[in-house]
Amino acid sequence: MATEVLADGRALRTGRRERALAQMEKHDLDVLVLGRQANVRYVSGTPQLWVAGTRPFAPTCVIVRKTGAIHLLSTWDEGVPDDIPHENLYGISWNPMNTIANLQRIEGASTAKRVGTDALSPGFAQLLPTAFPNAELVDGELAMRAARRIKTTDEVLSLREAIRVAEAGLAAAVAELRSGISEKALAGVVLEAMAAGGVSTPSTQDAAWVTSREHPWRRASADGLVRDGDLVAFSSGVLDGGYTGEVGRTWPVGEVNGSADLYRRWDALWDRLYEACQPGAPAIDLLAAYQAAGEELPPMPIARGLGLGFDPPVVSQHLPATAAEEQLEPGMVLAVTGYVWQSGVGAVFGREAVLITPDGPEVLTSSPSANVAVGV
Amino acid sequence: MASTTSFLPALSSALDIPDTPDIERMRRETGARLRSAMADRGVDALILLGNNAVVYAAGVSWPLGDAGLSYVERPVAVVLADDPHPHLFLPFREGASSESGLPADHLHGPVYLEFDEGVENFARVIEELIPAAAVIAVDELTGAMRRAHSRLFRSGRPVDAAQVVGAAKLIKTPDEVSCIRTAVRITDTAMVDVQAALAPGIRQIDLSAQFTRRTFELGAMASMLEPIWQVMPKYKADGVWTTHGDLALPLLTTERELAAGDVLWTDVSITYQGYCSDFGRTWVVGEEPTPRQHAQYYKWQEIMDAVLGVARAGATVADLGRTATKANGGIKPWLPHFYLGHSIGVNAAETPMIGTDLGDEFDENFVLEPGMVMVLEPVVWEEGTGGYRSEEIIIITEGGHIRLTDYPYDPYGER
Repeated sequence: MATEVLADGRALRTGRRERALAQMEKHDLDVLVLGRQANVRYVSGTPQLWVAGTRPFAPTCVIVRKTGAIHLLSTWDEGVPDDIPHENLYGISWNPMNTIANLQRIEGASTAKRVGTDALSPGFAQLLPTAFPNAELVDGELAMRAARRIKTTDEVLSLREAIRVAEAGLAAAVAELRSGISEKALAGVVLEAMAAGGVSTPSTQDAAWVTSREHPWRRASADGLVRDGDLVAFSSGVLDGGYTGEVGRTWPVGEVNGSADLYRRWDALWDRLYEACQPGAPAIDLLAAYQAAGEELPPMPIARGLGLGFDPPVVSQHLPATAAEEQLEPGMVLAVTGYVWQSGVGAVFGREAVLITPDGPEVLTSSPSANVAVGV
Repeated sequence: MASTTSFLPALSSALDIPDTPDIERMRRETGARLRSAMADRGVDALILLGNNAVVYAAGVSWPLGDAGLSYVERPVAVVLADDPHPHLFLPFREGASSESGLPADHLHGPVYLEFDEGVENFARVIEELIPAAAVIAVDELTGAMRRAHSRLFRSGRPVDAAQVVGAAKLIKTPDEVSCIRTAVRITDTAMVDVQAALAPGIRQIDLSAQFTRRTFELGAMASMLEPIWQVMPKYKADGVWTTHGDLALPLLTTERELAAGDVLWTDVSITYQGYCSDFGRTWVVGEEPTPRQHAQYYKWQEIMDAVLGVARAGATVADLGRTATKANGGIKPWLPHFYLGHSIGVNAAETPMIGTDLGDEFDENFVLEPGMVMVLEPVVWEEGTGGYRSEEIIIITEGGHIRLTDYPYDPYGER
């Protein structure tokens, strides 16, 4: 981050827009109406105010395929690139009728035949036809997802930088791990360190938790305090320049009986997960890696694309058919999760960022692991 | 269903706010409000995807993450008109870790509504839970849900759930107010240290770092907004370009070093048990305000006193807007893209808002009721001063209001 709010660099912007426009053509979309922050950033290259949690759908950015023009919800021009002129900015509005009136003024709105939106609410489903009277309203998220799934060279650079900030947050929290500290205080350390590193927009605020000895994933203690003998999971995540940098590690507090075996199991699982990250491989190989290692599949997705938010593929035990259809390709960046649990001991959770290259996987995360500390 | 005799009476003074929120009672009471709003609109079932709506409807809370990841790993709630307990579909961490206290048959595994396969799985469960003829309201439709429209919404086009949830949220129960007050206290306490650290040379982002860590130590669940420490221009013409020619707000925090004399407009929000705080004060870096800057604060206080004088049950939000404008000499004391004030709850800004582009008719027709929580944030501007803006949170009562904000006005004033 700098001392000014700056638009994303030209190469980053143009690379992404070309991919978005190509997918609009492929999906036969005349106009895309975007409400999700990740998509708005992807297309506009403009930093947006970060607010926690999902947002209700509202037309925040509009891209017209024929002209390539981008219209953006922004009351000011700070951070707006110069290829979005002032006349294409429309201000914050609390009245959806005024939002619709802004959309009606967009050149190409009245003649568009197919308009994609990245999500929709029943309210805007009724209102949008007023702005696009001749259009069929269809899903536009599939087109955006197809654009986002392969990263440009500049995007990979941004992801590397975001991961560096997340790793600084993790390191700060591990340094303060001790018996008696609370999970929340540890999360506060992660967020403080990332902000000190220039980024006050976390991708997760659930940054540290004591793993349970009794249940594969439930909360361990009611008071949220760390004690000797605990395995403590850290999940550090940041949104830097819009890009999600993530890393996960698990550290023991004092002596944790049985943890050496558990870390060994994690290492064995990770070897198989890493091997599954090959260009051309079906994404379901990642699920198979758990089975081959003899580990239970955890409740969270074991892999998902990293970019401006979540990207395909999302690999979960609940989506086997989806994973079977997905193929890993060079230019994908994945957050891959290894998770092993032992009754009476706790869990070891680790999350790595992996770039799929034509030659195989490249691990982008480099935070130290506790595996060495416990003698594995 | 819970008996209404177990509900707390409406608040009349700060003493009526529970010291600690009773989360079970809160869920019971907000659940009753939600089902009453469903009945008013003839809605039989709600399908809720939005994080804030799920927090409200199911009484679960978790540290909210970035939207981009939250779309794929998010809790989903299904509320039925004749069932006091919501059904919850929980991912790994989000919400699952809070003791939700729901019957086991109402807790379900994660659903992935971004994907056709995920929607297919969800539709199978929904068919069991919701009768085919039921009127369904939903707050968001993913692309995959739109493709499975006829399976999910067998009785036809769904109603907008935002209207239903919005109506229920208007009046806060005493336990909800207790959550908001705790969030406000955490915020105010953390801010004392942040303000003490304010000095020339400190970076905007350092204030964010310190604030966030301190609030987590004090028990905050999450930050709701990237903290804002906006350096105000002396003159409007020196500020960034805006669509309306007035001031921009909020502008994003950077690594900019603050200089002596900088006027900062601050704005932050954190959550406790899923409920938001709000905080806004104007600070001057490393110097005492000039007499003209002091005058800005006194004008702001005059406006605030006038608005508080009319803020009670039975007043319309237009009454508040008019009073503020009159106290400011006929000029609206708020920015054209915002409002004089807004409500607060599981969202940092909720309905009603005062003086927005929803228009005069909306404001004239919106009557304040006991239990509504309002954040009042007049803006005063005189060229050359950097202006003055601060926020006060109040709860509307039968006879007036209860103030929740308890933070000094240094370096401008003592009150």
